[in-house]
Amino acid sequence: MDPILVVALVVSLALFFDFTNGFHDTANAMATPIATGALKPKVAVAIATTMNLVGAFLSTAVAKTISVDLINEGVNLGAEMVFAGLTGAIIWNLTTWFLGLPSSSSHALFGGLIGAAMAYAGVAAVNFPKVFEKVLIPALLAPLIAGIAAWLATRLAYLITARSQQQRKKTGIGTGRSNFKVGQVFSSSLVALSHGTNDAQKTMGVITLVLVTSGFQSNGDHVQLWVILSAALAIAIGTYSGGWRIIKTMGSGLAEIKPPQGFASETATGVTILASSNLGFALSTTQVASGAVMGAGLGRKGGQVRWSKAGQIVTGWFLTLPAAALVGAISAYITLLGPWGLLADAIITVAIIITIFQMSRRNRIGHHNVLSEVEGASEVIASPRQVRAAASKAEKAAKSVKKSEKKGKGRK
Amino acid sequence: MINWGNFLLVALASIGFTVVVVSLFSLAMRLLTNARHALPAARKGKISAVRSEALNRVTSYLLFLICAFALVYGIYLIVPYFHI
Repeated sequence: MDPILVVALVVSLALFFDFTNGFHDTANAMATPIATGALKPKVAVAIATTMNLVGAFLSTAVAKTISVDLINEGVNLGAEMVFAGLTGAIIWNLTTWFLGLPSSSSHALFGGLIGAAMAYAGVAAVNFPKVFEKVLIPALLAPLIAGIAAWLATRLAYLITARSQQQRKKTGIGTGRSNFKVGQVFSSSLVALSHGTNDAQKTMGVITLVLVTSGFQSNGDHVQLWVILSAALAIAIGTYSGGWRIIKTMGSGLAEIKPPQGFASETATGVTILASSNLGFALSTTQVASGAVMGAGLGRKGGQVRWSKAGQIVTGWFLTLPAAALVGAISAYITLLGPWGLLADAIITVAIIITIFQMSRRNRIGHHNVLSEVEGASEVIASPRQVRAAASKAEKAAKSVKKSEKKGKGRK
Repeated sequence: MINWGNFLLVALASIGFTVVVVSLFSLAMRLLTNARHALPAARKGKISAVRSEALNRVTSYLLFLICAFALVYGIYLIVPYFHI
């Protein structure tokens, strides 16, 4: 097959992976502000999109240094192999999204590439000690650090802002805890920005890698402008389309989150990610954010974490690498059949993608029903004015239903 | 090998920074509500209430300012352009 066609296929697949990366990770920054009502779902997603778009242009440092050091040196990462790896990453990303599980997109990418490398060059291609060091151990430690930080911060936030029932009754002034929502706007935006500077870069790195190995670019020390533009756009479109399933899991499925907890968990997420990327112990954003939500969930008195959901999520983390590797390997075996194999592989992948999207339409989760569940959860913290407004709204709705019923009868 | 030293550093920095920022923000919030508590008496012209209102409000704003600096520092860390 024409090498330019292969490269075009790989680039479009890489951009599609970038898209899934975007909507898979919207939840990391925006699930908690949506859950507490600090930001309206659409506004939250719009902010995340802007931050991701801006972040993608801020630097290409990560893209230039992308190294898949989980695969032993000497194994040639050719275009076909990257193609097979990407199919593994995309299919696993879409599966976890369908199940509403937050899982690391980078682990899916590495998993897919590892699987493809194993299919091409055997088990010896994989650097297992590195996999242990860079994937398995951090998956245990990331939620632990962020969880402890968020738990402590939540405890302190409640302690510091506590006021006795008597005092509140006497003065009619509350604890002011709902004002944490203002802080949430900033903390969640910071998380979104740091995501943008990292994740679009991975796609740029993969595309540049393929361009270099197929001879379309002399070396990998720069990233071409069209690569930056398309990767930035792909992750932004992905982010804007929301990934509401995962937002629902992280915002209300894992723990019930109120503004102080939301602020604590976002701050813990942002700080932990910045600390890990600046002090040389890389951690996955998704795992940090999930751990922070759990920690914040436990930090409030009477707060609960739904452990069954947490168990599912953690299981998903440990499955991400092997599952994406399995799909990557199968896909690699198909591409090994030659040019027709590659084409068949592309068609199968597209078919699977369409099937997952079709299945997801049966029980659609969008910005509308994410909010309705959230409203149920935030009733406890609603001010009297909000409660009154909601009551009058419900009354009006009931009246209009009655009216329409009467009209309907009249027509009959 | 896993670099446990770096890990410990990341853990301590993460937990420490989170706790400090969230505590400062919470304290700012508390002082702001303190100021609101003192407001009715301050409006009536009670000197001590006026003082307490002003003190709480100003300290609270200062704490918010420190939190804003933490945010700016975060952006500084994220954007490589600033520190390369």
